[in-house]
Amino acid sequence: MSLFAIEVQKTFRRWRTYIGFAAVAGAVILLEVIIKLNETRMAHSYAGNLNSDFLISGNVLNAWVISAFIMNSLYVHVPFLITLVAGDMVSSEATSGTIRFLLIRPPSRSKIIAAKFFVMLFYTAMLIVFLALLCVGLGLAFFGSGDLIRFQTGLPHIVILSEHIAASRTALAFLAAILSMSVVGSLAFLFSALVDNSIGPIIGSMAIVVIFFVIGNLPFDFLESLRPYLFTTYMNIWQLFLDDPINWQEVGKYALALLGYDVLFFGAAFFVFLRKDIKS
Amino acid sequence: MSEAILTTAGLGKRFGNRWAVKDLNLEVRAGDVFGFLGPNGAGKSTTIRIILTLLSPTSGSVKIFGKDVSGNRESVLSRVCGIVEKPDFYLYLSAYKNLELLGSLTRKVKRNEIFDALEIVGLKSRAFDKVKAFSHGMKQRLGIAQAILTKPELVILDEPTSGLDPQGMKEVRELVLALSREHGTTIFLSSHLLTEVEAVANRMAVLNHGELIAQGKVSELLNGDSAYYSIQASPQNEAVELLRKMPWVEIVSVANGIDVHIDSRRAAELNRLLVTNAIEVSSFAAKRTLEDYFLKITEGASEG
Repeated sequence: MSLFAIEVQKTFRRWRTYIGFAAVAGAVILLEVIIKLNETRMAHSYAGNLNSDFLISGNVLNAWVISAFIMNSLYVHVPFLITLVAGDMVSSEATSGTIRFLLIRPPSRSKIIAAKFFVMLFYTAMLIVFLALLCVGLGLAFFGSGDLIRFQTGLPHIVILSEHIAASRTALAFLAAILSMSVVGSLAFLFSALVDNSIGPIIGSMAIVVIFFVIGNLPFDFLESLRPYLFTTYMNIWQLFLDDPINWQEVGKYALALLGYDVLFFGAAFFVFLRKDIKS
Repeated sequence: MSEAILTTAGLGKRFGNRWAVKDLNLEVRAGDVFGFLGPNGAGKSTTIRIILTLLSPTSGSVKIFGKDVSGNRESVLSRVCGIVEKPDFYLYLSAYKNLELLGSLTRKVKRNEIFDALEIVGLKSRAFDKVKAFSHGMKQRLGIAQAILTKPELVILDEPTSGLDPQGMKEVRELVLALSREHGTTIFLSSHLLTEVEAVANRMAVLNHGELIAQGKVSELLNGDSAYYSIQASPQNEAVELLRKMPWVEIVSVANGIDVHIDSRRAAELNRLLVTNAIEVSSFAAKRTLEDYFLKITEGASEG
């Protein structure tokens, strides 16, 4: 059995791992049911926002629009669900004392920390895939398909993605969301390697996410110079895939920044873990 | 003399300004049940953590199977099993799953091997129970099952009977001895319980304040010149009076019997003295335990 398989079993046999899935399911179902119950009013409201420029007709409120709407609503909240597991990956072994068993076995510390990191990424990916399947699946069941009509990211222009490309763009957006969420996971993972309790990494990483979001959104000029250095600036990378045309240069810049943060946080966790004295 | 399985050379660990372990030179030989004795805080757990790579040493080195552990971690630790302090398992997993996952870190383990190991420690019927329902003693036995499962050549146990009731202590002791006798495993066992080391170990080292006080065969280390004896004599007060007149007899205590400290070569002489003075001796037993030995040398060390 590979180290990765061992870590997967350890992670996915804990009930804590499924809190994120349950919360996502609850939130998505609730949102889609509420939208369904208010479909006519919301469709008019949504079309009304867009009607200032165009005359909109057809199935405005469809699975792709709903998915984009839900992602937009949840991408600030999902990080918390990621930290629940990522913040616990290393620290829970220290809390429970199992780290002593783990680190006196033949696999090196570098292999162990790498396996744990990849399992954290796997969990993040699974959670986003679950979110995607639920959003799109329920969306198609409740609202059917149609063109994806929305505002271009950061601009007051309307984008219309025809029904046949909306699906692939939504899939790309969700894939980009995995990269986006992996940075939050990596940050929590780093904190998890630093301390011997689970609460600290969860609260610490969420505090940083919230503070960075606040700094990134405050309309003050003096904060402008800070924004390129905040990973939260790049977390809406998924929205770029719903623009038309896709600004690949911007996507590349965002993706490189997010990957850079992933490498930075994992590198720091790796460095700490390899030199850590196990005193507990 | 059998080959050295585990050696430490000038091993030291400093936390801040305090040396937890200092200039430690140990030698554990193949087939030994090696007792690593010392009071709480002596540095036993720190030493074990360094040996098992949980802590990095400040000075010195550790060799296992003739190889430096720091440079040959994987090959060395694949032949070693350890339990540091208490055996902590994944509480949300069953005993079976714990053994499967932890065993897989060393080698591929088969289903029947897991059940065999659980059977040896008497936990086969609890194989699929979650470990969170296990008592401390059961976890300790599960730790030993893990040692059996991975078939190590060296087992390192840190206070294996700590926190157990007398029955649990006996069971663990028997399992340790069985590992040594039936599997030829070398055992390195730390304890602050002197009777435990005396009961299972053939060689031992004594640690106090992080420094090695003594090392050698248990039988040789116990064969000192002086020893403690417990005497049941009647009438007791007359016996005590007589013994007080003997300058070579030190009376340690008088209660339900008389405990004395004498040169062990004069034990027969003392017995004869009592009998010839019309004192009935119903029991004359050596109390020369490792505890007495330990107290003697640690007191000696602290006085020095």
